[in-house]
Formats: sequence, C-alpha cells, structure tokens
Amino acid sequence: MSKFLRPEIIGKGSIVSRLLKRKLSRRRFLGVSSCALGTVALGSQLNVLKALAEPGSGVKLSLVPDRSVFTCCEMCVNKCGVIARMREGVIHKLDPNPSFLRSRGMLCARGNAGLQTVYDPDRLKYPLIRTGARGEGKWRRASWDEALDLVAGKMTAVADQYSRAGMMFVSTEGFQEEFFLRFAECFGSPNTLRHPTLCLASNLQGFGATYGTNPFPDVRNADYLIMSGANRAEALFTPDSIDMIAGDGGRRKLVYLDPRFTRTAAKADEWYPIRPGTDLAFVLAMLHVIVGEKRYDREFIDTMTVGFDELVPHLETYSPEWAAGECDIPAEDIRRIAREFAAAAPRAIYYQGRRSSFFDNDTQLRRAMAILNVVVGNWDVKGGMLPGKKIHLGENYYLAPWYDGVPERLETGDVTYLSLKDGAWKPFRDRVLAADPYPVKGMMVYKQNPLQSVPNRSKTLAMMEQMDFICTIDITMSDTAWYSDVVLPEATYLERLDPIHVLSGPVPEAVMRQPCIEPLFETKPNQWIMQQLARRFGDEVAESFNFTMEAFIANQVEGHPEILEALRTRGVYRENDEPVYGASHGKRMKTRSGKIEIYSAKYAKEGQDPLPVYRAPQTPSRGRYRLLLGRTAYFTHGTTQNNPYLHELMAENSLWLHPDEARRLGLRDGSRVRVRSSVGEESLPLRVTEKIRPDCVYMDHGFGVLSKGLSRIHGRGASDAALIEDRMEPISGNVAMHQTFVEILPA
Amino acid sequence: MSAIATVIRRPGEWAWFGVLAVAMLAGGAAVGYVFVAGHDHALNVSRQIPWGILISTYVFFVVSSTGLCLVSSLGDVWGFKAFEVIGRRGHLLAILTLLTGFGVMAMELNHPFRMVLYAVISPNFSSPIWWMGALYGLYLVLLCGEFTALMIGSRRMSFIFGLAGFVAAISAHSNLGAVFGLLEARHYWYGSFLPIYFILSALVSGGALTALIVYFNHKARGISLSPDYERFMITVGKLQALFIGILMFFIVWKMIPGLYGKPPEKYEATMVLLAGPLAFNFWFFEVLIGMLIPFLLLINRRTLTPFGVTIAGLLCTIGIFFMRYDLVIAGQMVPMRESVAEGPAHLLEYFPSLAEFAIVAGAIAFCLFLYSLAEKFLPMEGGHRH
Amino acid sequence: MSKKRYAIVLDTRKCLDCKACTVACKAENLVPLGTENYRNWVSEGRLRGSYPRLGQEFVPGQCMQCGNTPCKRVCPTRATGVGAGGIVTVEDKKCIGCKYCMTACPYNARYYNEERGAVDKCTFCAHRIEQGRLPACVETCPTNVRTFGDLNDPDSEVSRLLVERPYRVVKPEMGTKPFLFYLI
Ligand SMILES: Nc1nc2c(c(=O)[nH]1)N[C@H]1C(S)=C(S)[C@@H](COP(=O)(O)OP(=O)(O)OC[C@H]3O[C@@H](n4cnc5c(=O)[nH]c(N)nc54)[C@H](O)[C@@H]3O)O[C@H]1N2
Ligand SMILES: Nc1nc2c(c(=O)[nH]1)N[C@H]1C(S)=C(S)[C@@H](COP(=O)(O)OP(=O)(O)OC[C@H]3O[C@@H](n4cnc5c(=O)[nH]c(N)nc54)[C@H](O)[C@@H]3O)O[C@H]1N2
Ligand code: SF4
Ligand code: SF4
Ligand code: SF4
Ligand code: SF4
Ligand code: SF4
Ligand SMILES: [Mo]
Repeated sequence: MSKFLRPEIIGKGSIVSRLLKRKLSRRRFLGVSSCALGTVALGSQLNVLKALAEPGSGVKLSLVPDRSVFTCCEMCVNKCGVIARMREGVIHKLDPNPSFLRSRGMLCARGNAGLQTVYDPDRLKYPLIRTGARGEGKWRRASWDEALDLVAGKMTAVADQYSRAGMMFVSTEGFQEEFFLRFAECFGSPNTLRHPTLCLASNLQGFGATYGTNPFPDVRNADYLIMSGANRAEALFTPDSIDMIAGDGGRRKLVYLDPRFTRTAAKADEWYPIRPGTDLAFVLAMLHVIVGEKRYDREFIDTMTVGFDELVPHLETYSPEWAAGECDIPAEDIRRIAREFAAAAPRAIYYQGRRSSFFDNDTQLRRAMAILNVVVGNWDVKGGMLPGKKIHLGENYYLAPWYDGVPERLETGDVTYLSLKDGAWKPFRDRVLAADPYPVKGMMVYKQNPLQSVPNRSKTLAMMEQMDFICTIDITMSDTAWYSDVVLPEATYLERLDPIHVLSGPVPEAVMRQPCIEPLFETKPNQWIMQQLARRFGDEVAESFNFTMEAFIANQVEGHPEILEALRTRGVYRENDEPVYGASHGKRMKTRSGKIEIYSAKYAKEGQDPLPVYRAPQTPSRGRYRLLLGRTAYFTHGTTQNNPYLHELMAENSLWLHPDEARRLGLRDGSRVRVRSSVGEESLPLRVTEKIRPDCVYMDHGFGVLSKGLSRIHGRGASDAALIEDRMEPISGNVAMHQTFVEILPA
Repeated sequence: MSAIATVIRRPGEWAWFGVLAVAMLAGGAAVGYVFVAGHDHALNVSRQIPWGILISTYVFFVVSSTGLCLVSSLGDVWGFKAFEVIGRRGHLLAILTLLTGFGVMAMELNHPFRMVLYAVISPNFSSPIWWMGALYGLYLVLLCGEFTALMIGSRRMSFIFGLAGFVAAISAHSNLGAVFGLLEARHYWYGSFLPIYFILSALVSGGALTALIVYFNHKARGISLSPDYERFMITVGKLQALFIGILMFFIVWKMIPGLYGKPPEKYEATMVLLAGPLAFNFWFFEVLIGMLIPFLLLINRRTLTPFGVTIAGLLCTIGIFFMRYDLVIAGQMVPMRESVAEGPAHLLEYFPSLAEFAIVAGAIAFCLFLYSLAEKFLPMEGGHRH
Repeated sequence: MSKKRYAIVLDTRKCLDCKACTVACKAENLVPLGTENYRNWVSEGRLRGSYPRLGQEFVPGQCMQCGNTPCKRVCPTRATGVGAGGIVTVEDKKCIGCKYCMTACPYNARYYNEERGAVDKCTFCAHRIEQGRLPACVETCPTNVRTFGDLNDPDSEVSRLLVERPYRVVKPEMGTKPFLFYLI
C-alpha cells in the first residue's frame, strides 16, 4: 500500500488533518487490498473509524482502560483466558487472565496480536459472491439473505441431483463449530471432515489403544522429560510449554529429539538430531534396556496391564547398538537415557507430542511411547501420565431429521479405525476425485483452510475444481475462501458470545467467550449463520436451531449458577486447583481388557502389528533432501501470518539447509531457491544454518498463500502444503507429512 | 526579466545561475516532500543510524564557516597583511555557510520550531547540542558585527569583533567536536580527539575556500589577479600545505589507536573506513583527492601558482565533504546490539535518499547563490589598504 | 515510606523467544506498526558450538532505566527526564527530534515515534503501575522471564532475586548503571 495512504503521515493535531486521517483510514480499511468491494453502510462505520483512527492518530490518549471483559483466546487451540481492556468502545489491549490455570496466566504473541483480527483492514466484512472464475478474486458484495438463499439453493440442488452425502462439511475445532456439525447432521450428510487426520489422529489412536484414553502429561511435576517431535517452545501447548521451562533449573531434565535445533532444543539439557522417522527405533531400544535390565515396575505391570510377556521376546533384537545405526544416536547415550528414565520413574515422561502427522508408522510409534511409559509404572501418578477429567455441563438436545437412502461415509473401509465424526482427509479426497463410490459435489467449510492444511495442494485444488458449489465461513480471505463461490464472514472471537466450553485435562476448566464489541461491518456469529441457513431447509431442521445463545448457555449451566458466577467474576470456572492423583488405580480402564494393553489384541484381529514393529524409513537419494515442516511461536498454522503485528515478526518463511550442503550446491544464505517435489514446486529464500541435519531441509508452515486477500503476505515465501506428498498412516488415517523428498535448485 | 538582466550580464553567468536555480528547485521540492511525507519516509535515517548526510553536511558547512572566519581574521586580527584582502569576502561567506548549515540541520530535526522555544525556556546546560546552539548563535552575531565593521571600514571595531569572533569560532567549533566526542556509547567518536581535529580541519577548509573565492571572483570578472592577491594566494597555498600536512598526521594517529589491539567497536568502525563499505570514500576522496594531491600540488614549486592553489583548494573542499560524511556515518555503523545469530557479525547500512541528496545539493546552491548576489550588490573589494 | 526505585530482573534461561512481550508492548503503548518501531526486543544470542553440539540463548531487553543517563544528559531541551521510581521519561512537547539521545543510548532503546512526534521508549508501563497492574511485557510472558519490582523495598521479589542469584548488567563499562538485571 502506498506510503501516502498511511494515515500517520499527514500533519498531526489539527481537526482537519484528523478528519483527513479518518478518511484515509477508511480508504485503507476498505482498500481493494482487503478485497472487500463496494462501499459501506455508514451506520456501522463510526466505531470502526474510531477504532482505526485512534491507534493511528497522534492524538494523546489515556492508556487507561475504561472497561474490562473476560473472554478467551481463539488464535489457536489452547483457548487461553483473556481480559480484554477496552477504551472508548475500542479493544485497546488483550491481557492474560491470571486466574486461568491452564495457561499459567500467560498470553503468547498471537494472543496479544488477536485484537488485529478485529481491526485489520484485511478482515472479511460482508458476504461475498464470486463473479469471476474460481480463484480469480472477483467478488460481489451481497446481502446475507441473497448469500444464504444462494447457499441453500445450491445445497438443495446437490442433494437432489446426487444425494445428501454429495455435500461435504469441512471444519476444525472452535467454540461455534458444534453448530456447523449440528447443521451437517440436520442436513443429512455423513461426510463431515475435520482436522484430526491432519494432526493427531495417530497420536490419539496409539495412546488410546494402549491406555484406553489419551492421557495428559504432568509436565510440571515430572523429573525426567523426553520430547521427540514435540517442539513445545515454539508449538505452544498449554500448560506443557510453560511447565517444561518452569521445572528448569530444578531436578527436571529434558532430553529432546529433533532433526532441527529448535527453540526447545536450545532449552533442553540434551539435544539429539535424530534421523527423521526413526523415533520408534529409539523407543524400542529404550524398552529393550529397561525390560532387559528389569528396571520396570513389576507390580504396576501385573496389576494394571496385559501383554507384558509378549513384549519381552518382541524386544530381543531391538538393542541400543542396533538403534544407534538407525537413528544416529550413540548406543551408550540411548542406554544411559533409558536407565536415567527408569530411575526417575514414575516421575518420568516420554512425552506423547501433539501433531503426529509425520510418518506412516506413527500410530505404532505412539503405541511404543505409551508402552514405554507404562512399563515404568507411569500412570495417574504425580509427574506422570494423568487421565483427563471433565466438568459436567447441561446438554442442549436437538433432534436431527432422518433421511432415507443416504449412503455411508465416502471413505468407509479405507482406514482401520475411521472416526465417523472426523473422517480421514487423504482417502476422502482421493475418493471425491474418483467419484467412487459416489460423487461429492458440494463443499461447506467452517474454520478450516484445507488448501494450506492438507498435503498436496494441487489435489485439493482439483477436488475443489470439480465441485458444483463451495461455501466458506471464515474471518479472513483464506486460500480456501479465495477459491470458494460464496464467502460468509463470521464475527471474530472478540465480537462473539460463544457457548461455555470445558477444557479437559487433569485440572479441567470451563471458559466462556463474551463479546468485547458488537460485530463490526456485517459479520455474524456462526450460530446465527447456521440458524438462518436452517430456516431455509424446512421447519424440522429450523427447529434444531431455534434458540438464542443466551438460552443455549443457560441450559449448559442449568442448576449450576456458580459456574456462570465464576465466569462472570473470574473468567474461568474449575472445581479443583490441583490434579487429584491415583483415583483410577485398580479401576477398570476403557479398553476391551479393562487393562492397559501393552499387547493389542484388537490390532492383531485387524491384521495390524499387536506390538510395534520397526520398519526403517526410506533414505533420500543423493542430491535430495527430506522436507520437514512445523511451526514457529509467531503463527498458527496457515492463518495468522497476515496479522499486522505478527507479520512484523516474520514476513516470509525460508528454507533451512545445512552449511555443508549449501556449499556443495553452491548456494548462498539469503539467495532465492526453488524447491521441487514429486507434487509441486515452490520458491523461497534460503537460510543456511547449522540448526538442521544435513540430510533434511525445513520450512515453516503457512506461507506461499494463493489468496490476494491476505495483502501483506501474498507472494511471500513458500507453501509446504504445495510440496508434500499425500501419504497416510493406515490405522488412524492420519496423513504422513515428513515422507517427501525434494531437490533444491537456484531460482 | 529585466530585473534578472540587471543581475546577469555575462552569458557565463546565465549558465551559473541556471545551474544554481535547478539545484535550489530540487532542494525546495525535497524540503516540501519531507514536510508532507514525514522524516521516516523521506529520509533514510533509521533507528540505528539516526544521523545521516544532513548532519554531516551541516557539519561541513559550519566547519567551512569556522575556517573562513579563522583564516580571514588572520588579516584584521592578527595583522597578517596578506590576508586582509579577503576580510570582507571571507566573513561574508562565513556568515552564509553558517546560515546554510543551520538550514540543513533544521531539516534533520523533526521539530526545529520547538527547538527555538524550548532551548530557551527549558535549556539543558549539560547538553553539548545546547551549547552548540548557543555558541554558534553568539558566533553568528559576532560574525555579522565583524562584517559590518569591515564594510564601514572601522579597523578598531573590526579588531574587537574579529577577536571575539575568533574566540567564539574556536569554542563553538571545538564544542561541535564535543557533540560527537562526548558520546561514550560511540567508541569511534568518543574522546578529546574530535574537538581538536575539528579546529584543524576547519583551517584546511578556510584556506581552501578563501583561495577559491578569490580566484573565481577574478575569473568571473575576467580580470587578472593584482599583486596583493597573487601574494595572498601563494601565502595561503603554503599555509594550506602546512595544515594538510598536520591533518594527515592527525588522521594517521586517529587510525592507529583504532587498530592497535582491536579495541571493540572502535576497531570495526575504523575498518569500515580502511577496508569496509566506506573504504572508497576514504582512500579516494579523503586521502587522495582531499589530502595527497593537494599536498603535492602545494609543496611543488612549479604548481604553487594561484591556479594550482585553487585546484588544491577545490580538491580539499571535496575531500573534506566526504571526511564529514564518513565521520558521521562510520561512527554509527557498528550496531549497539549484536544482531546476528550465525555467520559474520554485520554492519548497519545507510545510504542517503534522493530527498537527502536533493536537500544537500539545494543547500550548496543556495549558499553559492546568496554569495554570488552579494558579489554583485555589495562592495566586496576594499576593506584593506592598497 | 521510602521512595521507589523500579527495576526488572530477567532470567534469560527461561526465554523462549516467543515475542509475546514485544507484541504486548506495541499494543499496550500504541507503538506504531513498523519493524523499526518497538520499545522492547528479544535478541537471538549467537549460536554456540557447531552441529551437532549447539547452544543458544535468547536475550530480551528494553530501556534499562539507567541510573546514570546519557540520554538525559545530552537532551538539549530536557525533554528526556527521570520520573518517579527512577523511570526515564520523554516529554513529547519538548522533544525537538534531534535524535541526540538515540546516538547517546548504548542500548538502542529509543526510536522516533512519528505518530507522537517525539522520541519514544520503554516507560516500564508507568500508567499500568499506577493502576497496580504489571508492565505488559512482564505480565504476558509465558515463563515469567521478567520480574518487576521496587529495589528500595528489601522484601520485593526483585530485591530478593538480586540477593540470592548472581547477575550481570549490559555494557557495565558504559557507566550507565542500568536497572535491568540479568540473572546468570
Ligand atoms: N503443511 C502442513 N499442513 C498442516 C500442518 C503443518 O504443520 N504443515 N499442521 C496440521 C495441524 S497440526 C493441524 S491442527 C491442521 C490445522 O489446519 P486447519 O484446521 O485448517 O486450521 P488453520 O490452518 O488454523 O485454519 C483455520 C481457518 O479458520 C479461520 N478462522 C480462524 N478463526 C475463525 C473464526 O473464529 N471463525 C471462522 N469461521 N473461521 C476462523 C482461519 O482464518 C483459517 O482460515 O493443519 C494441519 N496441516
Ligand atoms: N505457535 C503455535 N503453536 C501451536 C500451533 C501453531 O500453529 N502455532 N498449533 C497447535 C497444534 S494444532 C498442534 S497439533 C501442535 C503441534 O505441536 P508440534 O507437533 O510440537 O509442532 P510441530 O512444529 O509440528 O513439531 C514438529 C517438530 O518435529 C520435528 N520433526 C520432524 N520430523 C521428526 C521426526 O521424525 N522425529 C522427531 N523426533 N522430530 C521430528 C520438526 O523438526 C518439528 O520441530 O502445536 C500447537 N501449538
Ligand atoms: S497459546 Fe497463544 S494463541 Fe493459543 S490460545 Fe493461548 S494465547 Fe491464544
Ligand atoms: S515473552 Fe517471555 S519468553 Fe517470550 S520472548 Fe518475551 S521474555 Fe521471552
Ligand atoms: S537505556 Fe538508553 S534510553 Fe534508557 S535510560 Fe539508558 S540510556 Fe537512556
Ligand atoms: S530527540 Fe528529543 S528526547 Fe532525544 S535528545 Fe533530542 S530532544 Fe531530547
Ligand atoms: S515495560 Fe511496558 S513499555 Fe516497557 S517494554 Fe515492557 S511493555 Fe513495553
Ligand atoms: Mo494440530
């Protein structure tokens, strides 16, 4: 944007200049750069202009808030407690809520930058209807009625021409996602597709199959922590990221395995640049030592688990010496770490990580991690793995209509354990492309951005191309929105009243999102959008959405006024401040056997390895590198890179390459390079650094966007999604993102 | 038209004033742009290099002013007959360069008008910049006094003003050195060197400029030098040789401590000049153009002619402009904070923006323009006995 | 009650380089957008060792609220002064934008704020302190790298930390007597 358009450069102080400034601010706010076309209904403008002019203006302001609002963050999954500081109807600052335990009273860079989701000129403002070709970026501003009529019409058309299963509903967690899923159910399509098979499906599967639940690590009280493929210092996950550091300097020891020297590596006591995909070898070798040297917790194993006897012989061949050859970690270190780990048990955690969409052996890897924790008696003890607990909330019942002749999920049978709610992205997309067994021609998207999030972007584009109709509900012009036919602007989390949500964990907490300001422009909460849409599908469907948010929340706290009271006065509700340990001991686990399953009979029945079997990953041929990807602390996936504050922290991603390799290829630091895989080619600046294994390259996720609606970052950096091949882990259906080899060419 | 015609008589002058006009227009436009777009858009100065070419040009002008004052008072104050001939011109140009210098600096300041007010009602006596303002203010007054004295030809008055002006010039100018020299944070500037060095280099500037004005005046008029002026030129030439000699000696001793034992930051800054981004400026403009060639011209009997002295003066002046620039920039190029995690430690970068260049060009033109007018309308000859 | 002397004690071992403090500060203090405009920063320390033995530190910083202030000393119009609690202040209307203080500060803690028309720098969030709130950068930090408090109060957290733990200050040779203390 031209410097001349910047409001702060006009002479300061005078009324005239301030008015001028506002005009400019407004121009800026509606700039084509923000690809919101048409002019504004002046009614809604005033506080927008205030909001924009104020931070921009040279006018001396009191920084003292005149009002504070308890709410919670939606910049990522963690949902940290927030106190919004208001001034003259404008959100001035988002402060952390000190009484919110799970975040330990912090707010990260993204959480602080959250207020820009409201005031960023690039935000979505009005319903938009595509006028040009898909992805061309030609839009027409529409009224909600027109947009919703169009959406309803198209959905009905798809349902009539194909079947209700011909509509797919794509969404990701969020405090108003449930209304989207409810709508999908009421519309009658089984084809909901959520984020877990891009994220942690194999993780849940592996630990679930063993413990019968996905445990929470008691990082704060652990004396010994092993993290592999979990970059907690950057991929922030509360409270682990904080507790990982909090214990530092005390007894706590952190061993960290990662092909990259990440911020976490910098904080770790020991860092090992493990060969990607060989973590399983490391874990099996640790088991080999601990079991072989009888350093396990016999009593716990006898009382709480099944299948230990099958494990013992299974480990025979998995010696540290063998593993050393696989994962480039010296045998003596593996042996020592195993012994230290056992000695520290049960206050010893082999951290299960979060995203496990790495390799096609990931479920088995997570199984092995779980088993390792189990044999040292790490379950429901201080400093160990803890069962998640909940806070009971009142239900909001609804009755979804029944439709005959709707086929089952599209990708049924493609995955050993397919979640009917989440689906599995890779096989689903493949089947859409093959129209097998039936065509899917309509796509509704809520709070997900498949074009950045699903491996092999060109396939996703092809899938969208064959759709009769695509509608995306978002707050910014994401790549997916950019390629949609209708874009519906949801009010941001700071403008919404959201249902109460319970963040489960050892110390579960209930949080609620209260609006700080009225929704700006013509944005609406998803609950309203779904309600209006439902009305267009007959009384039976409408009935399920015939409620106000206030009523919905009232049902949630039915008979528990103390919850609402706590949320009003402290912004958070919880029943206890400390975890209660050991309650589950001697009780039945949620597995078939009722015990923790070291040997998985059910896997055996499904023809999967009942105990984790190591299979070596492919090694890159000469001149090729394994492409790794991950996060920085500054961005959430592919979404916040365009945030004005965060954009300043990193304007572009870069390709990490080890100096030796850079020298071999004759490439200099900072020079632009092309990265080519079997499915795509991207270009970005090279970052020559010792922080990565010579056989790998790495790039941060979320750049190289297609959408011109993200004005600051369009044309900056490369998209990892465009490069990675779509592989899958067969048991959970999780994608495997680190199995792509690339070549690097000068740009 | 006719008004202009009365000013401009010779075709050469048309060209001369034409060039000045163009440069001044460019400068004016740039000034306008600074006011509209704001400093941080118009100028390339940054958080880490807050002082750019405008400051160095300011220094260049006030150094020239001081030099002119010192050299031209050699006649009226210290009674060196040879120097009386340039009393008027010298002091006039001293005034003009000083004013232009102030003008250029005002463009670097974000709030020159606030300065005028708060420097008076809220002075900080521990601030070298405050003293700089005060002393140069006083110096300006005395210069004007001296100039009037010379114009009305009162020897007594001109002696008193001259002497006072001489003292003011020395203190104001050494204080300017202190503006840099008192910054502990900037190892390359810090210390007592700059105040002294500034005085010396002022003498070089003064010598050079007086030679230039004398020569070009006669050229412009198309008359040849009178014996008085001949004598003056040769004397100045000899003096210049001496000044430059000492200057080179100073520079050598500025550099050696910068290298010896690699003192932190000071060493990096020194290397910026010797082998870094400013090396060409230093070796070519400062050393070769600014000192060596002039020195050789002036110590060589065959080139110690009025023309030779003029050429030497011209080269010196160019060299000195770069000396100022390099001094100001090199002192800021070493980051105050280590900023790279891998690879070689990096230096900060600065290159003047178009606006900055234009302002500098405009200022120089403006100064010359005023002087040319003065030559036309004021009796610059005389003020000394024939 | 004795007068206060505010200070911040930093434990860099805890710093994740997450930049929450930087964003928090910009929002709290209406620091204009732009990578040149900031009151605090987090520097990546030099990468130590060589692959596969590496180490790195992250060092947050901001105005050191020096006890001996070159910035104040050189300010021609006394726009820069020292306020309650030893906080070094800039009075916008007196600032002539000479940027002398910027060249005088050994820590590059100052920047020219075009929107305020004056040089700007960390104020320890004095306006928050007055309301009994912590400075934004202190409050938002996930790992509590910064501890804020009054050094004249012997029982304050900062006082205790400086008694119990060894510490360093940045560029002590400058004689600026910084009031940001880095635990070793
Ligand atoms: N290449 C690659 N792919 C990945 C990953 C990777 O690291 N690299 N990570 C994987 C992981 S772990 C995960 S969890 C997934 C996540 O991938 P997604 O589920 O796609 O999540 P985001 O990328 O955060 O996209 C969220 C979308 O919701 C929008 N949004 C944000 N807030 C709101 C709101 O309040 N309302 C509405 N309606 N929309 C909103 C954002 O603008 C954005 O378009 O990505 C996976 N895919
Ligand atoms: N700031 C920020 N925080 C976030 C998110 C975000 O987008 N931004 N997203 C949240 C979500 S949804 C999730 S799922 C989590 C993700 O949390 P993480 O999974 O911890 O985050 P990633 O960056 O995907 O971590 C991948 C790390 O594993 C390394 N790695 C790659 N291959 C291998 C391997 O074979 N072995 C080992 N040992 N390491 C390997 C990579 O170099 C990278 O450092 O983060 C959550 N927190
Ligand atoms: S971690 Fe950061 S982005 Fe995620 S919820 Fe907490 S504050 Fe918001
Ligand atoms: S917020 Fe805390 S951890 Fe994050 S960068 Fe700042 S000081 Fe470091
Ligand atoms: S850090 Fe810089 S700005 Fe802050 S008080 Fe010290 S010298 Fe002044
Ligand atoms: S820039 Fe402002 S604060 Fe800094 S020295 Fe000049 S007048 Fe003082
Ligand atoms: S104390 Fe306040 S002003 Fe200073 S850096 Fe922290 S947030 Fe910014
Ligand atoms: Mo995730």
